[in-house]
Amino acid sequence: MTQNLAKPAVPFGGKYRIIDFTLSNCTNSGIDTVGVLTQYQPLVLNSYIGIGSAWDLDRRNGGVTVLPPYSESSEVKWYTGTASAIYQNLNYLKQYEPEYVLVLSGDHIYKMNYELMLEYHIEKGADATISVIEVPWEEANRFGIMNTSDDMRIIQFEEKPTVPKNNLASMGIYIFNWKLLKEYLEIDALNPDSSHDFGKDIIPMLLEEKKHLFAYPFKGYWKDVGTVKSLWEANMDLLDEKCELNLFDYEWRIYSVNPNHPPQYISTEARVKCSLINEGCTVEGEVEKSVLFQGVMIGKGSLIRETVIMPNAKIGQNVFIEKAIIPTDMSIPDGMVIRGSEEKDKIVLVSNEMLQKFVS
Amino acid sequence: MKNRLLGVIDATTYHEELGELMIHRSLAALPFAGRYRLIDFVLSNMVNSDIESVAIFPKFQYRSLMDHLGSGKNWDLNRKRDGLFFFPSPNIEGEKHGIGPFSHFAANLDYFKKSRQEYALISNCYTVFNMDFRPVLDRHIQTGCDITEIRKHGRSLEMYLIKTSLLIELIRTRDMTGYSCMHDVVSSYHPSYRICTYEYEGYAEMIDTIHKYFTVNLDLLQPQIWKSLFLRDQPIYTKVKDEPPTRYLKEATVHHSMIANGCQIEGTVENCIISRGVKIGIGSVVKNCIIMQKSQIGENCRLDSVILDKDVKVESGTLLKGSIESPYVIQKGTIQGALMNS
Repeated sequence: MTQNLAKPAVPFGGKYRIIDFTLSNCTNSGIDTVGVLTQYQPLVLNSYIGIGSAWDLDRRNGGVTVLPPYSESSEVKWYTGTASAIYQNLNYLKQYEPEYVLVLSGDHIYKMNYELMLEYHIEKGADATISVIEVPWEEANRFGIMNTSDDMRIIQFEEKPTVPKNNLASMGIYIFNWKLLKEYLEIDALNPDSSHDFGKDIIPMLLEEKKHLFAYPFKGYWKDVGTVKSLWEANMDLLDEKCELNLFDYEWRIYSVNPNHPPQYISTEARVKCSLINEGCTVEGEVEKSVLFQGVMIGKGSLIRETVIMPNAKIGQNVFIEKAIIPTDMSIPDGMVIRGSEEKDKIVLVSNEMLQKFVS
Repeated sequence: MKNRLLGVIDATTYHEELGELMIHRSLAALPFAGRYRLIDFVLSNMVNSDIESVAIFPKFQYRSLMDHLGSGKNWDLNRKRDGLFFFPSPNIEGEKHGIGPFSHFAANLDYFKKSRQEYALISNCYTVFNMDFRPVLDRHIQTGCDITEIRKHGRSLEMYLIKTSLLIELIRTRDMTGYSCMHDVVSSYHPSYRICTYEYEGYAEMIDTIHKYFTVNLDLLQPQIWKSLFLRDQPIYTKVKDEPPTRYLKEATVHHSMIANGCQIEGTVENCIISRGVKIGIGSVVKNCIIMQKSQIGENCRLDSVILDKDVKVESGTLLKGSIESPYVIQKGTIQGALMNS
């Protein structure tokens, strides 16, 4: 998915793009100054963020600023790592001279109050605080693991350890004291051997210098969607009645750029169960355990099961789709059968080649 | 050709026939088709017809209307030049009159005088339609008429196209001529002006009674009607809300219905228009109903031919029944208990 689209811009949950969660968390946590670092395939993401009015981030002071790489004199400085991306935008941060800086990833799905994390950071008198989540022990070797003392002070950081000593995984959410961050980003930038990454370089360096680093334990839904399967799973999670990620919580709304579509139309022949359906859809077939984005059409006699259908895709008549993701704007011809299966770890991301094969 | 028309919307109309639905709001702000308000249709049509300056003349209970329109951003009318203007009536009381009240316009004559647009389109606020006004202007200029009245099947749609300068003259001379509104001018027995008509072929319905409100809403379930109202390149704009997609649960059965975002449906829904953020509990059967924003229907209820206004709470086990001819209207914000029926 991310080949043609920056990961934060990937559609999710029938209406959202993944970055909506982080930006809404910021707004809901009372943060009104947000810089968004972009690099790969930034067009969609940049135009989506715009001036940030969807998240109430179009502010006179602060607001949202998109920060793409830029050229200094003749040489374009691509962001080589997360730390280098921030280092190259130190001027952006300097103009605000903040006390604390919150560093986030734009590609995780979760709801979190950063204000509480900041209170924790201040209370602990930390130099830096890293948000962590408990992961199952058998999966801990896939994450960056924080080894902590009893009072949650971080003693050791291990990136994907073969024998994990702990199951607290870093969520890639950091709060730094600004002066300290500035100092260490400048030191790191001078190190030619550094990969300029927070997890790999900055955090280990801070630990070596015996700085006060604390882990902030987060409980709740958190998902990093890096693969077709995990994107599909995250969408299916929303259909679970006991899902912890409640989109209907008016106290913590997830804001999004709202496309203007009429209400969804469910025809007499249609059947809809256990699904999330957005505005502008026309359903004339059967839909079960699926997520339909805006403007999707489902033709008569079609059966859609455990499938995610991205915006404005058209499904013809008598189509059968199970365990698949249909990309934006795609048209599925009448009578086509698409079937993935969970056991074989296979979710079908339908491609144009598959359609051509079917037609010919 | 662009930006030659002023849009003028008369939002003063008050239809007593709409009863309970009019208690908290002006007619222009009456919710319609699941996520719209009546004014959205004419306002979006104006914007889609390249009109860049729109004046709205409200009178009664215009809080909900102002809240809905805001700065006009959703219609792209929050502009430095032109944009959306709001001219509430200086008189709360006052006689009933036809569309386009000159005395109300007179209090805001500067708007018309300062506008650079050569022509003005004066319209009512309660017609459900999707119409391009540009051909009307073309015809008006081509025929050289003083006033063009838009009609459907020979009946006036209460929309008038007129030169802005002539409109100013009519407003100024209203005491001498005795014309109090646009309707007076075109229906005069001895017209002093050349009146032409423009027959509109598309779909248009005026909402002036509860029965009309109910049937026109439900007519939208006919695909040929909603397809003629919701066009992809001439969208009807409205105030956007950050509602999540609608969630259908395991027990949901939905047929032949139009449903807005943010709903959670566990019951049976048939032949209904459901607005944003509505909840329908397990075991409930809702048929031939218009359910407005954020109403909640408990478990095991039976609703047939009912209009639920906003924020109504229907307690579990309640039966409510009206008829197609005379739908049962439940007032905004009330609680309907099961005990009331026993």
